[in-house]
Amino acid sequence: MASIQIANARKSYGAVDVLHGIDLNISDGEFIVLVGPSGCGKSTLLRMIAGLEDITSGDISIAGNVVNDLQPKDRDIAMVFQSYALYPHMSVAENMSYALTLRKTAKEKISDAISGVAEILGLTALLERRPKALSGGQRQRVAMGRAIVRKPQAFLFDEPLSNLDARLREQMRTEIRKLHHRLGATSVYVTHDQIEAMTMADRIVAMHDGIIQQVGSPVEIYDKPANIFVASFIGSPAMNFLKGSYEISDDNGAGVRLSDGALVPVLQAQNAQNNQAVTLGSRPEHISIVSDADNGLPAKVELIEPMGLSTLVHVTLAGKPIKIFTMDRPNYPVDSFIHIAFDMAKAHVFDTSSEQRLPPTTEPHSGHKD
Amino acid sequence: MTTVTQTGKLPAERRGGFSKKLSGIIEPYLYVSPALVLIIAVMLMPLILGLSYAFRDIRILNPFSGGFVGTAHFEALISDQAFLGALANTAWWTFGSLLFQFGLGLILALLLNRQFLGRRMVQALVFLPWAVPTFLSGLNWAWMFNPVVGPLPHWMTSLGLMAEPFNILSDPDLAMWGPIIANIWFGIPFFAITMLAALQSIPKELYEAASIDGATTRQQFISITLPFLAPTIAITLMLRTIWIANFADLIVVMTNGGPADSTQIVASYIFTQAFRRLDFGYASAIAAVLLVLLLAYALSVIALRRAMTHADS
Ligand SMILES: Nc1ncnc2c1ncn2[C@@H]1O[C@H](COP(=O)(O)OP(=O)(O)O)[C@@H](O)[C@H]1O
Ligand SMILES: [Mg+2]
Repeated sequence: MASIQIANARKSYGAVDVLHGIDLNISDGEFIVLVGPSGCGKSTLLRMIAGLEDITSGDISIAGNVVNDLQPKDRDIAMVFQSYALYPHMSVAENMSYALTLRKTAKEKISDAISGVAEILGLTALLERRPKALSGGQRQRVAMGRAIVRKPQAFLFDEPLSNLDARLREQMRTEIRKLHHRLGATSVYVTHDQIEAMTMADRIVAMHDGIIQQVGSPVEIYDKPANIFVASFIGSPAMNFLKGSYEISDDNGAGVRLSDGALVPVLQAQNAQNNQAVTLGSRPEHISIVSDADNGLPAKVELIEPMGLSTLVHVTLAGKPIKIFTMDRPNYPVDSFIHIAFDMAKAHVFDTSSEQRLPPTTEPHSGHKD
Repeated sequence: MTTVTQTGKLPAERRGGFSKKLSGIIEPYLYVSPALVLIIAVMLMPLILGLSYAFRDIRILNPFSGGFVGTAHFEALISDQAFLGALANTAWWTFGSLLFQFGLGLILALLLNRQFLGRRMVQALVFLPWAVPTFLSGLNWAWMFNPVVGPLPHWMTSLGLMAEPFNILSDPDLAMWGPIIANIWFGIPFFAITMLAALQSIPKELYEAASIDGATTRQQFISITLPFLAPTIAITLMLRTIWIANFADLIVVMTNGGPADSTQIVASYIFTQAFRRLDFGYASAIAAVLLVLLLAYALSVIALRRAMTHADS
């Protein structure tokens, strides 16, 4: 087990810059999830840690040693690929023991390690099979087993669950987390699925266009997104955004004036000027449907979307689509008007031009810089 | 009432059912019959005709020939020293060419599978020998081995491989190497291209996983590349063996079987019998023997491969 430091790491393919100066410290035993839309450079970063891609500039250290020039095999890491990359001409047991065999580990030690890991992953009955005779979920387990058997310093996962169906993915999420608890090995997990990031990570690293947007615990990322990108990427159904201008009222209150003239009260934001162009952000669960017109803004119902546990009400406000999450079972007719109210304490104010969040004055200045 | 009418109807129904069944059996054959007739006419007829010549006395210059001679040709073959020599030469020619074509083709494919500048250009160039007409390449190589017009003997002399420039094609001990070298040059592209296609179908992640697992390039070649190439290697080696064994063009052009039959292979011997001695019956008998030998070879390769894949799984 080991910590991983990434210092100002860059990657370019010819003239194309894929990663622009990545700084990240991963503690020993931490489960880090790199999340971001596809093409943002997550895999590239992971492969740079693995040694499968050269580092254009910067440093990557594992357990305090700079590994820039080390071969993948000398970095003592294990990787689980999206395609699993199982050796098709070897049995499950041979797949899992390949690395140990190459290291000339003693036969009894190998078979002990294999049977132990197979036991944990429920692969004991499949050891003699070829990968092509396994289901997707079983192949995934073999890929995990192959990584675990080696007892590496760190595990690297590149979208290991994307080829599984939804139910299996959910099950494997918890299994991987449990395994991590059990083994306690440093893990870097790449996914484009924000739910995986939220449910699995000790810390999430949100990436966009080759730049880290924010690093933080799932709750931190969800409750205090650093900017509009993180706010919109994390959370499903996604956060609602409304453009407007910031207004400070006489009684030291504050609000966002929407394009249709309505004022949404918000907590006073740090460094926000009167009339500054801002974007109001509010998660669907932080908007409520109110009965009286005095406390709410009129919004037109577009669609009622039942989701089983809850219901999603789609409305238009100030000409923009807004989603509202409710545990009730409303049945407003389409095109009727309802009144909605924003939870003032939970609403976010973003600077429209920089897209950065302007935290409320009540929130302590975070010294955190990403 | 109902039972009565039913029993009354039964025989008719049964008859209808039977003829229906029959037409059901025949119908598919009717649909495929045009194709079957075509295949029989185009593929089987010439084969059967050709085989039948082996049992007849067909000499173009002899107007009284054409009669049935039974197995006389085959009996003559057993003691035909030229034929037995040609059999041995065929093995040498076939496996000598094949081994180098395959080895060098595989190495070329491995090189072409790497990323380098101008790779597409080189890939296109590799095709070239394949595109040159065989007779032209045969002539070319014959000239290259000729010390009067070709450079090869002089180069080999400067390299110390020859005491003085001479034409290896006129040395009975060495002559076979001339057509073999030409054939290697001619056949490398085939293996390079088929092996390259197979190499490119191997997922890159396997090599990445293996490099993380600690496998050296050589170990990766053994545990990933070779198993992936095995089916392609097996099928191309088999096809090429048959192809080369039958491939007399280069020999006919370069040495015409000589000197002193030292480069005569069965295929060129057939050519000699048929078109120089004009004995089509004897030539057909030799061809029939070659056919049987190659069939036996192909079947044993297939059986071997089947046994191997069964042992595998
Ligand atoms: N070998 C390569 N050559 C050129 N561009 C590449 C190469 N590999 C990846 N890229 C580019 O780098 C960017 C990041 O890729 P990747 O790390 O795979 O994204 P992600 O895993 O986040 O989806 C993409 O825009 C991709 O097109
Ligand atoms: Mg990726």
